[in-house]
Amino acid sequence: MTKKTLKKTMDKVESSEGVQSDKAVAQSKKSTKNNKTSQLYVAADAASVDDAKSSSKVVEKEHQVSIAARQLGVYYGEKQAVFDVDLEMYANSVTALIGPSGCGKSTFLRCLNRMNDTIAGCKVTGEVLLDGHNIYERGVDVVLLREKVGMVFQKPNPFPKSIYENVAYGPKLHGLFKNKKDLDEIVERSLVRAGLWEEVKDRLQEPGTSLSGGQQQRLCIARTIAIGPEVVLMDEPCSALDPIATAVIENLIDELKSQYTIVIVTHSMQQAARVSDRTAFFHLGEIVEMGDTEQIFTNPKLKRTQDYITGRFG
Amino acid sequence: MSKESQTEVVVQPNGADVNPFILNKRCTEHGRVLARHRREVRFRAYGIAALTTAGLFLALLLVTIVSQGSSAFFQTKIQLDIHFDEAVIDRKNSGDPDIWKKANYSKLIHTALKSRFPEAKSRSERKLLYGMISRGATGQLRTALQEDKSLLGKTKSIWLYASSDIDMAEKGKITQDGDETSRRVRDIQFSWIEELRQKGQIETGFNVLFLTAGDSREPELAGIWGSVSGSLLTLFVCILCAFPVGVGAAVYLEEFAAKNKWSDIIEVNLNNLAAVPSIVYGVLGLAVFLGAFNMPRSSAIVGGMTLALLVLPTIVITTRNSLKSVPPSIRDAAIGLGASPIQVLLHHTLPLAMPGIMTGAILSIARALGETAPLLMIGMVAFIADVPRSLSDPATALPVQVYLWADSPELGFAEKTSAAIMVLLGFLIIANALAVYLRRKFEYKW
Repeated sequence: MTKKTLKKTMDKVESSEGVQSDKAVAQSKKSTKNNKTSQLYVAADAASVDDAKSSSKVVEKEHQVSIAARQLGVYYGEKQAVFDVDLEMYANSVTALIGPSGCGKSTFLRCLNRMNDTIAGCKVTGEVLLDGHNIYERGVDVVLLREKVGMVFQKPNPFPKSIYENVAYGPKLHGLFKNKKDLDEIVERSLVRAGLWEEVKDRLQEPGTSLSGGQQQRLCIARTIAIGPEVVLMDEPCSALDPIATAVIENLIDELKSQYTIVIVTHSMQQAARVSDRTAFFHLGEIVEMGDTEQIFTNPKLKRTQDYITGRFG
Repeated sequence: MSKESQTEVVVQPNGADVNPFILNKRCTEHGRVLARHRREVRFRAYGIAALTTAGLFLALLLVTIVSQGSSAFFQTKIQLDIHFDEAVIDRKNSGDPDIWKKANYSKLIHTALKSRFPEAKSRSERKLLYGMISRGATGQLRTALQEDKSLLGKTKSIWLYASSDIDMAEKGKITQDGDETSRRVRDIQFSWIEELRQKGQIETGFNVLFLTAGDSREPELAGIWGSVSGSLLTLFVCILCAFPVGVGAAVYLEEFAAKNKWSDIIEVNLNNLAAVPSIVYGVLGLAVFLGAFNMPRSSAIVGGMTLALLVLPTIVITTRNSLKSVPPSIRDAAIGLGASPIQVLLHHTLPLAMPGIMTGAILSIARALGETAPLLMIGMVAFIADVPRSLSDPATALPVQVYLWADSPELGFAEKTSAAIMVLLGFLIIANALAVYLRRKFEYKW
């Protein structure tokens, strides 16, 4: 991000304070130290203003920062895997993370909902701001965090339970329903949104593992969105799927971005180009280049990015 | 045929084409492949030979035990006309059941025997005659009288337990060969048996006593139920102590404990403990439960706790392994949805690992069922005739009973030993079948 856009951001923050919930304001007022960072960042990126065909209101919404990393570093024991990464991921858009294996993009992704907490010897420095609040602050409860930041994994991993139970598990954990009817509605809505409802509506009680790979992955997506997250993290969601199932998932991602912030790690350049709005190129634990997907793939600023995209190294 | 293909096809002297992929013994180039095939055949033969040997030994073991022990499930009885003499049972005609209980029932039996075989006149012959009937037969008469009080003063023909020697003779384990003085059943007794047999007054029927009675000094009265119930009570305590503690320890070590120097030390020690000789656990039980806590000696509760110590390391190890075999992706999925570590454990990991845990636990408990050494140390080897009714009653266990009977000189105990082994093996087979069933039923394929 350039200084210019940051300045604009701050201006916008002042003007759009009313949009924020009272709670968030109250919280930000509590700690003056966090006051600057815990505002909602509303960035108006110069590049995307050009292709804004819709009303300015939508543009504003599209460029609302949902989750952002600030100077994020990750250590596995002595070894540092991610170096001072700064990255902003906008609401209602798809951010793709690309890069060669072992470059730290999955590690970075897992930091966004603190999945790395479960790995022994993993240490995180810097901040991750979700709606302006640092999720690594002392006292943050990961349960509340993961209700807001869902995750879809590389390998489809439905629970060995019924399809219904798979989707209902998250809402049950977080107590998101009042009665059985509520829960049925949540399950149906989630499955419809994940594009799986038509295929499974007659066999909700069959085990989730009886579905095909692509269906399983959509079930996992349904399971993730059933708890109504704000951000959906996807760690190579199509790497275990055939091209047809991949296309289905990609269409789904396109539909889902109207409601969620999506961050996707992928090894497939074409996939990143197809589904994402913005792309970050990781290499050796650092962000090499970050920008609009179109720009990254058609007119990369750095030679390293170009070499990777064209397959000359990686 | 084109020139190119001609160079590849082996042409034999007679000019016919040969498929080069068919092994040819005369072909030197195929020698290496042929040797490899021979090696494979040889290796398979070793395996089959090993399996056959093992199978033969198992069959030999089972045949020996069954052929020796199956007769213990049958018992010889002799029918006698017993006269419930008022003068013997209740001289003062008091009608008091307590006096009836204490009456001299062996006198009734002796009288009946004397009238049945009047030819036995001499003192030594009388002694042999009385020895035909088990000492436990008096109890039969007492029970009969208690059940039917009107029997007093009447005569009734009753099937009485034969003594162990007669039982053995009737089952053909003592034969009328060789020197009379060197065998337990004399010629005159054989003649009496023959006479009884002709009249149909001796028969061999199912041995209810063996399955319902406790131990006894008399082989014909000894039963397995005392040690079976002792074993069941012991295992109950063992499961109650070892399962929750073992699974809890494994869950903590696997899911929650930090991996550091201490967890490494614990892991090494666990593996070593699983290999410690079982008698060492007996010494531990003796020192801790009997010595330090003064718990009742020879009791099922102490036996169970001692066996729990023995199986604990195995349960911890098998539980950890089954927890490890739950794919991490399931944990990730649950964590990603916001489940707390306890919820991940209770909702996913533990249920998925349960078949493996159950299998491991059942197999280690089956091992505990067959353990003798630790029980010897805490006094469960004592002769205990009563069937234990509570956890603190003196009790014995099946393998210990086998050991005790095998140690007894009486011929009658030889078949009891084999029969007890059959019962023990039966329990082990049930336990193993249960383990296999549970694994099949709940196994989840990833």
